[in-house]
Amino acid sequence: MAHLNHTRSAAGRINGARSLNIDLIAIGIGLTLAALIRFNILPSISF
Amino acid sequence: MSAITIPSPTDVQTASPARRLLSVLPGMALLFGIGLLGKLLEHSQTLLHARYPQIAVPHIEYVLWAIVLGLIIGNTIGVRDVFRPGVATYELWLKLGIVLVGGKFLLQDVLHIGGLSLALVAVELVLSISVMTLLRRIFYLPPKLTSLLAIGSSICGVTAIMAAQGAIEPEEEDTSTAIAAILTLGAIALFTFPAIGHILHMSQQGYGMWAGLAVDNTAESLVTGALYGDEAGRWTVLAKTARSSFIGFVVLAYAVYWSSRGLAPDVPHKGLFLWHKFPKFILGFIALSILATAGFFTHGQLTSLSNLSRWAFLPAFAGVGLRTNLRDLVGQGWRPLIVGILGEIFIALVTLTLVYWSYNHGVAR
Repeated sequence: MAHLNHTRSAAGRINGARSLNIDLIAIGIGLTLAALIRFNILPSISF
Repeated sequence: MSAITIPSPTDVQTASPARRLLSVLPGMALLFGIGLLGKLLEHSQTLLHARYPQIAVPHIEYVLWAIVLGLIIGNTIGVRDVFRPGVATYELWLKLGIVLVGGKFLLQDVLHIGGLSLALVAVELVLSISVMTLLRRIFYLPPKLTSLLAIGSSICGVTAIMAAQGAIEPEEEDTSTAIAAILTLGAIALFTFPAIGHILHMSQQGYGMWAGLAVDNTAESLVTGALYGDEAGRWTVLAKTARSSFIGFVVLAYAVYWSSRGLAPDVPHKGLFLWHKFPKFILGFIALSILATAGFFTHGQLTSLSNLSRWAFLPAFAGVGLRTNLRDLVGQGWRPLIVGILGEIFIALVTLTLVYWSYNHGVAR
């Protein structure tokens, strides 16, 4: 039981770390793109 | 089945960064390919209508095309192993899209509508948890499964359930069942909410708020909003983001409850716990909103940012279709699904009433 709990806690921590990484990457890419647009390094983008 | 697979410690990638990057390329190409095909189909439809106006063809948005194409591929030939790591990046595209859409909101809108969303979420939380607890007694569901269903349906779908997994330590089967129920109900919302919105002639803002407050999983919520229109999609982002910021508080409340019964570990540092559970990408959304409010961008640059967010959402929408497994609709046991459906119908009605009340009493603008 203790081993199972330990394994679950580890899984929870790893999920949290993965989620944090994705969040930080999303923020990093988002702010970088915004800066590139702000300083006219990226041309205007259409969709 | 990918949608309900719970990552385990063995899932930790130990490969080099270059190898990891290579491993995600096929799946990312698939996501963008499906999204672009959806856009192409929408464009072809527009051209067809311009050329043959006498033929009545319903206009189908790229959002719906991307989901339908993803659903067809995911449920017929399936997603091969080589594509799976890249398809999993849909979450990154989704969060990037949310961060970028922050530039479309002035800070005062974020504070006003975000604050309103928080108030509505608080009401929604109390009611949904009460109803789930009542339904648990009627349908004899395991208590921790009910906790997971209540957390997932009142806050933020799969993310909240995963956040609760380490805190309240449910059986893995309960976690899988709760995630499958939430994803199934999200898939149902994709097709029912826009229809209800049109029947009720809801405004873009009102509908967007409703989709953000009622649909649980972030991806399905955003798609449900975008299916009604671009503006509705943006309001959905705002309402859903405010709702997601509650994750830490709800998971903490449940962790303390189960801990007090000796069925989960103690939570020694509650402030730290809240910070760990807080979805950090929301900070990027707020940062861009602050920059836009401060006049950091010109009008044209804000339009470019908005268009970039739509490019980011494109593969995310394709990912929603790809990972929705229709067989799960029947393969998860009827009791959790019935509880989930009843709970969701209740939440949808409550949030619809709350949104209507807010707009008719001048609380929202």
